[in-house]
Amino acid sequence: MLFTSITFVIFFCLFFLLYWFVFNRNFKLQNLLLLAGGYVFYAWWDWRFLPLLIASSSLNYFLGIGIYKARQTKQRSLLLWIGLLQGLGTLLFFKYFNFFVKSTISAFATFNIRLDTYTLNIILPLGISFYTFRTISYLLDIKHGKIKPTTDWVVFFCYVSVFPCVISGPIDRPKTLIPQLTRRRVFDYAQATDGMRQILWGVFKKMVIADNCAVFTDNIFEHYKTLPASSLLFGAFLYTIQVYADFSGYSDIAIGLSNIIGIKVTRNFNTPFFAQNIADFWRRWHISLTGWLTDYVFAPLTIYFRDLGKTGLILAIVINFTAIGIWHGPNWTFFLFGFLNGCYYIPLILRGTLYKKKKITDQLQPALPALLGVAGTFTLVMFTFILFRADSLAQAFDYYQRLFSRSMFTAPVIIEKVNTAATLVCIVIMLAAEWLQRDKQHALQIDFIKKSPVRVIIYYGLILIIITFTATRNSDFIYFKF
Amino acid sequence: MDKGEILKTVNDVFIDVLDDENIMLTYETTANDVEEWDSLNHIQLVVAIEKQFGIRFTSWEIQSWNKVGELINTISNKIN
Repeated sequence: MLFTSITFVIFFCLFFLLYWFVFNRNFKLQNLLLLAGGYVFYAWWDWRFLPLLIASSSLNYFLGIGIYKARQTKQRSLLLWIGLLQGLGTLLFFKYFNFFVKSTISAFATFNIRLDTYTLNIILPLGISFYTFRTISYLLDIKHGKIKPTTDWVVFFCYVSVFPCVISGPIDRPKTLIPQLTRRRVFDYAQATDGMRQILWGVFKKMVIADNCAVFTDNIFEHYKTLPASSLLFGAFLYTIQVYADFSGYSDIAIGLSNIIGIKVTRNFNTPFFAQNIADFWRRWHISLTGWLTDYVFAPLTIYFRDLGKTGLILAIVINFTAIGIWHGPNWTFFLFGFLNGCYYIPLILRGTLYKKKKITDQLQPALPALLGVAGTFTLVMFTFILFRADSLAQAFDYYQRLFSRSMFTAPVIIEKVNTAATLVCIVIMLAAEWLQRDKQHALQIDFIKKSPVRVIIYYGLILIIITFTATRNSDFIYFKF
Repeated sequence: MDKGEILKTVNDVFIDVLDDENIMLTYETTANDVEEWDSLNHIQLVVAIEKQFGIRFTSWEIQSWNKVGELINTISNKIN
């Protein structure tokens, strides 16, 4: 049930009517429907994963109360470790078991030792990373005295599998999400219409930009051996835009849907392509995950390494980013993707400018140094996204080798020129709108335009673009597999 | 050293590390009240405070403060 499918539209309309007209008497009824709706939505993908989600929620619910009530530090730590081992253990098993087995076999094979072992046919349960991060932050926050556990199991189960963010985030923290689940949501017209605008913007990014870019990038990455370097550069550029449009488009839809049901969800992207350095980029990209890792991985590491000065900071950031890379999946390409992004921080740490936040200008046109910073950051990120897209390290290195060749100075081979031009125009529209609206939560917050016909023209213009230019193929969201 | 003096010294450290002359901490100030105070430069502040007072916080202490008052209490317990 993709957000962009007719099935989901029907499902959400039904949910909306029940939520605001039947189950609206108190927050307990609202939560029951939220939980049931979330589980139906989740089970629609594959019902076999639902028992794991329920089991994980049940265990962590009792662990949270146990940690809070435990009188001795040892007891608290033990319960926390049970939760961490369950969460991370399940995640490691489903994501990396086969990778470890295969790597062990090939490592022994290099010494001519044949291992008779087996791999399991493991399918990754959808959204497992995202709900595991929610349960871990819940237990850690209780342990650190930042929150009290909830004693309402429906509230906790809703928090873990919050609809519509259960599959792919944003990863909300207990401190911001749980209080919203413990009071009755009242329909707010302004919040709901703002949510609908954000959904429209997200659908535009996903169905027009990401899906159209996918047509070109799939072709370029499949035939890169026969294409000139200029085409490969074009492919890398389009893929970087595609990942952004795909994931931020998904996030916009998830946040918009949440707004319609009266729940405020953390922002996940804040115009990352206008970042002037790599630290700024990652503060603006997949904010809920990088924020989570900053608090629960990077911060403890910097505390641990704090006597090592800048070396400690470099170690902490490289480990943190390598973890982000590995989180994407068991492939050395992801490992290197994370490691490289971590290494990009080293000049900032050595110059002592890591903590200096670069402010995006208020002016319409950015100054030249800022523009150079933006272009440089985009280029650095784009090079790592080749790793992100490649099937193997060998393919990625081959792609890099062919990219840095003399054929860079030839015209790129472009299939379907009209579609390419249309996609590029839509990318310009997206970037221009996000630049002009960079101080807003999303590009369609255009209430400052007082003339309503102008606003209506913008909405319907966008709908027309979506109808006209939607790619023929409606593909999955890239981040669903993580 | 009383808590008022500790607060004043901590305030100076914040101004220095976060490079913002306008910071005015109170016991009730939280990270949400100071724009530049995020979890990234929280550690920078901790290291600077440790150096300033010649003390050492535990990992648990560093991650458990919710407002400046709690930080001041920890410092006071360690130096007095």
